Amino acid sequence: MAADAPHPAFEGYATEAVPQAAVGSPGKDGVLELTFERTADGTALVHDYATVPFHISGTLAHDPHPSADTVFIQSPTGGIAQGDRHDVSIAVGDEAIAHVSTQSSTKVQTMTCNYAAADTTLSVGAGGHLEYVPEPTILHADSRYFQELTVDLAPGATAVVSDVVVPGRLARGERFEFERYISRVRGTGPDGLLFEDATHLTPADSDPTAPGVLGEFTVYGTTFVLAPDRDETELSDALHAVVTDGEARAGATALPNGAGVAVRALGDRAETVQATLHGAWDHARQELLDVPAPSGRKY
Amino acid sequence: MSDTATLESFRLADSFLPVGTYTVSYGLEQFIQDDRVEDAADLEALLVTYLRHQVGPAELVALRAAHAAATEGDLDAICEADRRLSAVTLAAEFRESAQRSGDRLLSLQTDLRDEPVLDRYAERVAADGSPGNYAVVLGVATGLADVDVRDACLLCCHGFVTGLLGAAQRLLSLGHTDAQRILDDLRSVMAEAVDDSEDRTIDQMTPFAPLVDVVAAEHERAERRLFAS
Repeated sequence: MAADAPHPAFEGYATEAVPQAAVGSPGKDGVLELTFERTADGTALVHDYATVPFHISGTLAHDPHPSADTVFIQSPTGGIAQGDRHDVSIAVGDEAIAHVSTQSSTKVQTMTCNYAAADTTLSVGAGGHLEYVPEPTILHADSRYFQELTVDLAPGATAVVSDVVVPGRLARGERFEFERYISRVRGTGPDGLLFEDATHLTPADSDPTAPGVLGEFTVYGTTFVLAPDRDETELSDALHAVVTDGEARAGATALPNGAGVAVRALGDRAETVQATLHGAWDHARQELLDVPAPSGRKY
Repeated sequence: MSDTATLESFRLADSFLPVGTYTVSYGLEQFIQDDRVEDAADLEALLVTYLRHQVGPAELVALRAAHAAATEGDLDAICEADRRLSAVTLAAEFRESAQRSGDRLLSLQTDLRDEPVLDRYAERVAADGSPGNYAVVLGVATGLADVDVRDACLLCCHGFVTGLLGAAQRLLSLGHTDAQRILDDLRSVMAEAVDDSEDRTIDQMTPFAPLVDVVAAEHERAERRLFAS
């Protein structure tokens, strides 16, 4: 007898497998589009379109900057499943200031077939500023995840883009049990490619804890402070001084082609890496917008 | 390979080549300062990481592209590989080192050889139209000298490792025999790094060594240091 049959007449039904929704079917190919424009009253979200698993409940106005707008991307699902393909496009118009984050960590679930992928395209207009600082990505055992993020900057545009990856549900002792993780972050400007950062981890083939790779650390994050019109050496030194005080092992370096600064942080817990990177974000915000970063509290 | 090509590869692989590799440690100095590298075994493990995660998936990919482009006289393709390598090298100190030694090798080669591609590439670099990374200059030099591309890749690995072993001898109490033993032990890792680079296009350069980046960032600001990187 099938264990979950509510009545003997339903036993036959209960033995039948439910095929998983196919790649591309509703709920599997989430699309999110956000467009911010500068208006007389500051920044406004002028276009938003979200399909499951993305959900938007309007904007928040808690930013310390008077003309900035904030969106927290919500998800009604338990995370990213095999076969999911997500497509996120965020455009910030000239002189607009937007901060986009997620409400909680993105959990990439265990997989037995196929893979999950997310493609994120960010663009910032002249004199605009975008902060894309999502909560960490947690890679569950046997997951396969491919994410690609491109940020395009118009002249005078600036951005802060952050990415933190947690290699398993650490509290239950799961670490580096995922199958494959590829993440590419690419920055472009009016003259083309500024920089590209790729993470490719396949723990079964290549030890992520090798010296110089992650070493004794587990959680890894990078914050890109993109400000092509700024003196990147000065900003790099200032951000380095800020992050070396933190609990995580971190450092800042000037990006190629004068794109800005990359701050890398390694730690044992997501919280310490996030706290260190938040310090860098806060400092960058004081430099670029003259206001501190929002606290990061989501509840 | 012809005798001329073989001799050219020996010359380019020799630590006698005046390109300033004795001034770079690619963060090794800071790894030692940080007590992360204390003996020959630690050093060898770190060199494995460099070969697998930096040289193989980035430098060698650029070298191959430059080698092929030089053979075909395609200056734009050389510069594209060059710019791409800089764009994926996030540690500022490593870009500076690669450009400094690249610049020296390029000026040396243009003095020695009469090759229009080399001259045009040197002009492009001088006009800031291309960064002039060492791996790319080496790719151009070996391509023009008819050094087989696999040999050129191995030569690059050998040069990288001997350069760092030289730095290690000055930073650690590492004996000559230990240095030779490490070089010998790393032969298979060098061959693997060359294999890894083989099927990659220049869009597939994926160096990944975050802790090296963090340590290099600390080295950039170190008050007392012997090496430029």
